[in-house]
Amino acid sequence: MVSSAPILAARGVSKAFFGNPVLRSVSISLEPGRIHALLGENGAGKSTLINLLSGALRPDSGTIEIDGRAVSRHSPPEARRAGIAVVQQELSLTNSLSIAENIGLGAYPRRFGLVDYAALAARAKAACDLVGLHEPLATPVGELSLGRRQMVEIAKALYRKPRVLILDEPTSSLSATETRILTALLEKLRGEGIAILYISHRLDEVMQLCQHVTVLKDGTCTADRPLEGVTAAGLVRLMVGRDPGDLFPRWDSTRTERIAVSVGKFSAGLMQDVDLEVRAGEVVGIGGLVGQGQEDLLLGLYGAIPARAASAVINDASGLPSNVPQANSRGLAYVPADRKREGLHLIHPIVTNLMLPSFARMPALKLRSRAKERETAMGLALQFAIKGDLGRAAQALSGGNQQKVALAKWMPLDPSVLLLNDPTRGVDVETKREIYAMLRAFAASGKAVVLLSSDTPELVHLCDRVAVVRDGRIVSLLERGDLSEEAIVAAAMGAERERQAA
Amino acid sequence: MSIRDAAFLSRSRLLAIVTSRPFLTFAIVALVWIVASFVTRGFGAYGHLRYLVELAAVIGIVAAGQTFVVIAGGIDLSVAAIVTVAAVGLPLFAIDADPTGLTPILAVLAMTTAIGLVNGLGVALLRVHPMIMTLAMATFLQGLLIIIAGGSAVTAANPLVSWVGNARPFGIPAGILVWVVVSIVVLVVMHATPFGARLFAMGAGPLAAKLSGVPIASTTMAVYGISGFMSGLAGIIVLGMNGQGYVGIGDPYLLASIAAVVLGGTSILGGLGTYAGSIPGAILLVTITALITVVNASPGWRSILFGTLILALLLLSGREAARR
Repeated sequence: MVSSAPILAARGVSKAFFGNPVLRSVSISLEPGRIHALLGENGAGKSTLINLLSGALRPDSGTIEIDGRAVSRHSPPEARRAGIAVVQQELSLTNSLSIAENIGLGAYPRRFGLVDYAALAARAKAACDLVGLHEPLATPVGELSLGRRQMVEIAKALYRKPRVLILDEPTSSLSATETRILTALLEKLRGEGIAILYISHRLDEVMQLCQHVTVLKDGTCTADRPLEGVTAAGLVRLMVGRDPGDLFPRWDSTRTERIAVSVGKFSAGLMQDVDLEVRAGEVVGIGGLVGQGQEDLLLGLYGAIPARAASAVINDASGLPSNVPQANSRGLAYVPADRKREGLHLIHPIVTNLMLPSFARMPALKLRSRAKERETAMGLALQFAIKGDLGRAAQALSGGNQQKVALAKWMPLDPSVLLLNDPTRGVDVETKREIYAMLRAFAASGKAVVLLSSDTPELVHLCDRVAVVRDGRIVSLLERGDLSEEAIVAAAMGAERERQAA
Repeated sequence: MSIRDAAFLSRSRLLAIVTSRPFLTFAIVALVWIVASFVTRGFGAYGHLRYLVELAAVIGIVAAGQTFVVIAGGIDLSVAAIVTVAAVGLPLFAIDADPTGLTPILAVLAMTTAIGLVNGLGVALLRVHPMIMTLAMATFLQGLLIIIAGGSAVTAANPLVSWVGNARPFGIPAGILVWVVVSIVVLVVMHATPFGARLFAMGAGPLAAKLSGVPIASTTMAVYGISGFMSGLAGIIVLGMNGQGYVGIGDPYLLASIAAVVLGGTSILGGLGTYAGSIPGAILLVTITALITVVNASPGWRSILFGTLILALLLLSGREAARR
C-alpha cells in the first residue's frame, strides 16, 4: 500500500480531566483513501481523542496537525474550514426542523442575505441520495426513526464536502440494509481520497471495512498497525489485556441453593424477555457495552420503572414490586451510578443521608430520636470507614466517601438483595479495593448481589457469574470458570457470532 | 468531656443559633420595632404590638402550609383562593342543630383539605407542574366563589368563629393562641418525624428520594393537603376577625405567605429551611405594612413601597448561595 501524507494527525497528545489522565501521549494519523478503525473499551479514551481531532477539546500536550502543519489554536470552526466532519454518537439534530434544514444547519446557502432554500434543497438532496435517504426533504427529523436520523446525520456531514470524515459508532442504530448502504458509501468515499476514521464496537464490520487500526486501552495506544493479518480475537486481546494486580480480594464461592431473585420473560425499558436467576450468597455481574439496557434491568426489578414478567419470584414472594417502597420492604436495595443526583442529597448532612432509607420505612409520624440516629450513623461510618464529620453536608465528602455513604445507608434495612449500578465509577483505587471487599463480604453473609459494571475486570474478578447484555437481551451467561475479559468483550460485541457461523 | 470542652460546645452551639436565619429574622423584627417605637407615636405600645401579632397569626398559619410545600420542592399559589373559600363558604354550612358552631368549622376544614389533596393529586399523579396546578385551582375556585356568593358579603353567625376572631383568654387574642399551637405542631412534624425528613429529601432531590424509598406520591398529596387545611384555618380566623366574608378577602395572603417563607430563610428551591424562620417572617411583613400605613401614603404608593421593601429585605438577608 502506498502511504501518502496524512490530512489530519495527532502527535503524542495527552489530556487529563481534573487530574485524571484520559489520554497519554497518543498518536494517530488519518491518511487519504484509507478507512482507519479506532477501537477500545468504554472509557478507553476514544471520545476524547475524537474531540481533540475535531477541536472540541484542546490537548494538554502534543500537537494536532492538518496537512502536515501543526495548528496552534484548533477549534471546531477551524476544523470545519479544514474539511473535518464528525458524525457524533449523540445525535446532534434538531427534531422540529426538516431534513433539509438540519443538513444545512450552520452552512445555509445565502442569496441577498436570506436563506436560498432552492439551493439548500438541491444540495441537501445530493447528500441524501448518497446515503439512500428518500424521505421528502421537508419531513421534520423528529418523525424519523433512530436509524434514519443517523443517516441524516451522515448526510449532514457529507453536505459539507469533507476531506476527513470521523464516524463515532455510526451503525449502532442502523438496520442491516442501512448498514450495507453505509458500507458501500464509505468504500466509495475512500476511493475519492477521503480520510475516514471509523469507530465501532462491531468487530466484524471493522474487519471487513477498514485497512488500518488504532487500539486504545486506558488512554494509551496499544496498537497502530495495518489490519492485515489481525484476527478478531487478537483485537479483543489488544483492547483488554491488563494486569488487575491485587485490587480484588481472594474469595471462594459462597453461593447457596436459595433463590433470591428469579424472573422469566422480564421486560423493562430496553430489556426484552430476559430470564435471570440470582441465588443468595452469589455476586451476579451484568456486563456489556454502555446503554444496552442493563440499567433498565436493575430499575425494573427495583420497581422504579414500569416492568413486566411472565414469572417473577423475589425472596419467596411472587410478582415484581410495583414501586420502590414495596421493593425495599421485600428486601431489595439499589445503589445508583449517578450518586450526585440519584444516590445522595448533597446539601444535606451525612447523618440524614445515612438515615433516609430508614426514614422512608418508619411510620410517618413516629417521633425521631436524634441520639439514636447519630449512634446508627456512627456505626455505619465506622463499618464503612467513611471519613468526615457526620454533621457536615455530604458534598464535603470525596467521591469515594460519597459512594460509601450511598451504599452504607441501606444497611440499617438489612436488604437481602443488593442491586448495584456501577458502584466504582469515578472512585479512587483505594476505595475501589474497599468496595470490592465489601461486595464479597455481603455475598459471604448470604446476601445476593447484582453488580452492573462498565469495568470489565471487576466482572471477571468479583462475580460468580456474569450475564452479558446486548440490544436489551442477555446474550451470554458466563460461569466463573469461563470468565475472562476477552470472553465478556467478545460476547458484548457479538464476536462469537462469527464463530458460530463459521 | 472536660468543662472547657463543654463550655466550647455550648458556645459553638450558641453561635450556631445566633447566626441562624430564624434568629436573624427575629433580630430584624425586634430592631424594626424598637426603632419604630421611638420614631412613631403609639407604635411600641403593648396593644399595638398585640394587634400586629394577631394579624401576623393569619399570615403565619397560611405560611405554615406554604413552608411544608416549599420545603418539599413545590409551591402553592392557591392559598389565597382557599382562604376566601373558607371565609365565604363557612356560612353555607350553618346547621341549626349545632349551637356550638363546631360542625361548620370542621366541614370547612375538611373541604379545604380536600381541595389541597386535589392539588397534590394533580402534582403527584398527573405530573402537572405545581405552579400550573395550584394556579389553575385558584382560578377555578375564584370562578366558583363568584357563582355562589356573587358580589355580596356574607356574615357569619357562628359563635365559635366569632370567639376565635375576638376573644382574649388571659389577655391574648385567640388567633394568636391558635397560631402558637399550630407552630408547635408544625415544628415537631417538620423536624422530629420521619415524615418531615422525607419532605426535605424530596425537596433537595426528588429522584434520589424516590430511589431511597420515599413514597413520593402520598407525601406530595399530604403536603398539599396540609397547605389546604392551614389556609382553611386561616380563612376561619379572618372571618372571625372581620365579621364578614367576601370574595377577595384572602387575596393579600398569597404573596405574604411566600414572602414570609423566603424571608425566614427557607430555600424557594426546596430541601432547606424551617418554619421557625417563617414565624418571624410573618411578623416582619405585618410590621412593614403597619409602618407604611403610618407614613400616610396613598394606596398606590403603599403597594409600591411594600413591594420595594420586601425586595430590599430579601437582597439584604435572603439571597441564596448558588447550589452545586
